[in-house]
Amino acid sequence: MTSTRPPLQALIFEVTQRCNHACRHCYNVWQDPLQSASYPDGQLDPARTLELLARVIEETGCRHITLTGGEPLLRPDLLQIVEFLNQRHVQVTVISNGRLLDEQAAAALIQAGVGLFELPLLSHLGEVHNELSGAPGAWQAVLSAMSNIRRQHGQVVAAFVATRRNIEHLQETIRLAFAFGARGVMFNRFNPGGRGRERLEEILPSLGQVQTALSAAEFAIQEYGIPVSCSIPIQPCLIDHSPYPHVSFGFCSAGTDRAYYAIDPLGNLRPCNHSDTILGNLLVESFAALTAPERISTFASAIPAFCSDCDHRLECQGGCKASAQVCYGSLTAEEPFLHYNHAAAIKTRPTTTTPIPTSFG
Amino acid sequence: MDLSRRDFMKLVGISVASLALTRCRTLPVTCYAPLPPSPTTTESITTARDRLRRCWLSFGDLAQATIEESNQGMSDNVFGQQLIADHRQALDALLSEGGLTPAVADLIQEAFDAAVYHVWRSNAPITCYEPMIVDYAPVSASVLVQQSEILQELAEKGTIDQVLLSKAQAAIEHDMAYYAMTDEELSSLYERLVAEWDRQGQAAPSFEEVDLEITPDARAAAQFIINLLTRK
Repeated sequence: MTSTRPPLQALIFEVTQRCNHACRHCYNVWQDPLQSASYPDGQLDPARTLELLARVIEETGCRHITLTGGEPLLRPDLLQIVEFLNQRHVQVTVISNGRLLDEQAAAALIQAGVGLFELPLLSHLGEVHNELSGAPGAWQAVLSAMSNIRRQHGQVVAAFVATRRNIEHLQETIRLAFAFGARGVMFNRFNPGGRGRERLEEILPSLGQVQTALSAAEFAIQEYGIPVSCSIPIQPCLIDHSPYPHVSFGFCSAGTDRAYYAIDPLGNLRPCNHSDTILGNLLVESFAALTAPERISTFASAIPAFCSDCDHRLECQGGCKASAQVCYGSLTAEEPFLHYNHAAAIKTRPTTTTPIPTSFG
Repeated sequence: MDLSRRDFMKLVGISVASLALTRCRTLPVTCYAPLPPSPTTTESITTARDRLRRCWLSFGDLAQATIEESNQGMSDNVFGQQLIADHRQALDALLSEGGLTPAVADLIQEAFDAAVYHVWRSNAPITCYEPMIVDYAPVSASVLVQQSEILQELAEKGTIDQVLLSKAQAAIEHDMAYYAMTDEELSSLYERLVAEWDRQGQAAPSFEEVDLEITPDARAAAQFIINLLTRK
């Protein structure tokens, strides 16, 4: 490793922009029909892709790479990529819709070194999952994929993207995920971006719905012993986390060594997979140069004015700033979940006199 | 199933770490419940084997250090890296004494690296889109029974088709063999599932179909770790 910075904990590599589903809530930045400028299209050939990964691993010392897309299994050289990473002792997670994860594919990927699969499970009802996935047969396929992975002793977590349409199904869906051997459930409230932005108001769950769902999650954790985490930030000023002691709540880590930088199929680096901000190309500039404080500080330090006097501002950062930027054109805008529930936050928000840091370093 | 030596050793290391900590679990960012401390030893550490054993008994300290590092905004796993280096050093000393073959030593180190990484990941707060921290502790018989019962209930409701159900049940069956349950647990669960299959007029899959390929080196490495921890 050439950099003097500590090793990066994890990276996201979007191996392809192609997808065989059309999820209503899809946040892929290249799927945004409302975006005036189109996102760069295409992907590197297999040899250049491995060259890119070798360079990134060397520069960052990263030990965990999540392969996503689009649908990563649509990429013919996915197995080569996994093997390449495994040979370099990098842990590999694959985020897939499960459609192409038949027994053979599951066995090959696990054998090649995939340590964890993240598969969507959007409802205990097939028709709802299929509708939200925009693909008939998606529910059957993902449950089959979960069984195939389990049969090969692979590890699966189920990702539940909570929209207005399915949020009331959370408890039953956790139960189903548990029965199919999922080792955990990610309860991600819909985070607008990409195609999902088009139907933002139609599918964004209400505050009350998210609260009810968290209670269901808390119950399910205790009933089935399955961990549930909220990866998409849920602002503590909107919902008090303390009644859900077994649910894990995550916040944005942009700009830190725990950040989830995203690399697109062309080698463009972004602060995270929800952000459409391209920091530069890793085949042209080094990772250290692209993530130097002067280049990332605007993203990392952005926080809505509304949050400036909040005790939770440093950990919460107002929620998902990438979503704020994609939806409202500004990193310091209130992201949609905060924007729509702004009024409810005022009453519960703690205050402080601690000054806000003005620089990131 | 063709399980690679590396994967097998990672599972051994992670399982030992999970069991040592009673249960590794994700800790919420805003709420921290202390983990049980790891066993502490007052005996003198004189040999390479003692030093190795101490490393394997330090997972409680690693969990605590991870939490403290996280609270201070650090995420380098400094303590974990030190443990890995100490473990390798002790292993090399043992190797030079002729107590192990290089291949077995490398596998033991692989298991330890995976265990350290698991404990660290299980205790560092999650962040946006970081994958769920998975508890790799062996699935218990009661969990498998509960899963099987839910599947059966779903099948009876007709919300899930028979092909999918069979597939999921076959996966549970396979898990039973994979995770080392006690004979009593295994036999009780197996009898229960066989009865369910009989009720549905289906033949239960045979355990003989399960093929776990573990190499002699991997077996030796796993046995070494067990002996180390049980002072054999």
